[in-house]
Amino acid sequence: MIGTYFRKMAGTTQSPPRVGLAEILWSWLGGFLGIAAVAYINYGFLDRTDLVMVIGSFGASAVLIYGAIKSPLAQPRNLLGGHLISALIGVTAFKLLEPHLWLAAGLAVATSIAVMHATKTLHPPGGATALIAVISGPKVTNLGYLYALVPVAAGALVMLAVALLVNNLAPQRRYPEFWW
Amino acid sequence: MPDNLKEFPAGIELKEEDIYEAMQGIPGYLDITPGDFKELYRLAYRHALERLSREVTAAEIMTTDVVAVNPDTPVAEVAAAIGRRGVSGLPVVDVEHKVVGVISEKDFLTHIGVTEPKNFMSLVAGCLKNKRCVALPIKKALAADIMTSPAVTVAPDTPARIIAALFTDRGINRVPVTDPAGHLLGLVSRGDIVKATMGRGAS
Repeated sequence: MIGTYFRKMAGTTQSPPRVGLAEILWSWLGGFLGIAAVAYINYGFLDRTDLVMVIGSFGASAVLIYGAIKSPLAQPRNLLGGHLISALIGVTAFKLLEPHLWLAAGLAVATSIAVMHATKTLHPPGGATALIAVISGPKVTNLGYLYALVPVAAGALVMLAVALLVNNLAPQRRYPEFWW
Repeated sequence: MPDNLKEFPAGIELKEEDIYEAMQGIPGYLDITPGDFKELYRLAYRHALERLSREVTAAEIMTTDVVAVNPDTPVAEVAAAIGRRGVSGLPVVDVEHKVVGVISEKDFLTHIGVTEPKNFMSLVAGCLKNKRCVALPIKKALAADIMTSPAVTVAPDTPARIIAALFTDRGINRVPVTDPAGHLLGLVSRGDIVKATMGRGAS
């Protein structure tokens, strides 16, 4: 029995094949434009306000929605739903448990995973969105539930718009697989 | 369902290298490992087998109360039997009850000289235009003389879906259901197919 347990760690299959050069270049272009757009809004318009537009979890979303566009995790339902739900959970955890940030952080991420699963909106960067709501200090925590709208929902919408525009330019790409 | 149906047939077992190569043929990053795909394929294949085995078969929808005629039955009696039953055709069986042919209205029309298209109104039109009405070249004929032979038959486990396609492809309206030796078990008509599509309770 203990042998079976350790044998599971050996793996059973192989890594999927490497994608072609065109796929790599289109992924790069989408990632560049998507993040640049969000960051431009952040640094060009919101710099002197209390608002932010760009958060770290968008970097992870970019990997999915520009680099793995067929993945169920990268579809609009998951992108928007995952970020929004996780943001609400993260802000709630912070408000309820501050100053016990270690507990708020753990609960925010774990609950986000569970709720994203239950709502079929699993989007890995959502975990980061929930965590950021807890650990980022006053610049973010002062936003309160506004955090879920700006930067999270607004930023995700901008990224989605870029994904729709850029991914469908490529002859062999099509996005999304489904909306809801 | 027999257990062996649930097993993935060894002859078409997918290898991971097949899946890997197929994945290379699809541009874009597929968010699944070859191993997971194989598992998925195995389960999907099993579901497909189960679905197909659940399909309505000829045996479930056929009429078993079939009047059959013999090759040496006079056509007058055949016509009377068809009329009495209110059907448009009957199977012809030999002394061992093996299906040797089918007789339908179309066979009658053909042999009394109705030209295309072979239907009742063509016959009426012919009657009204010519002096001699129903030609009687087959008055003395026997079933064997005008039947369509060999008959298209199906096995009891033929899915209704296949029978429907057969009706369309061959332009026929009924098909005898036979055992492997050719003995008549029943008859599936277009009406039986229609009833089958209304739900399983049609029998």
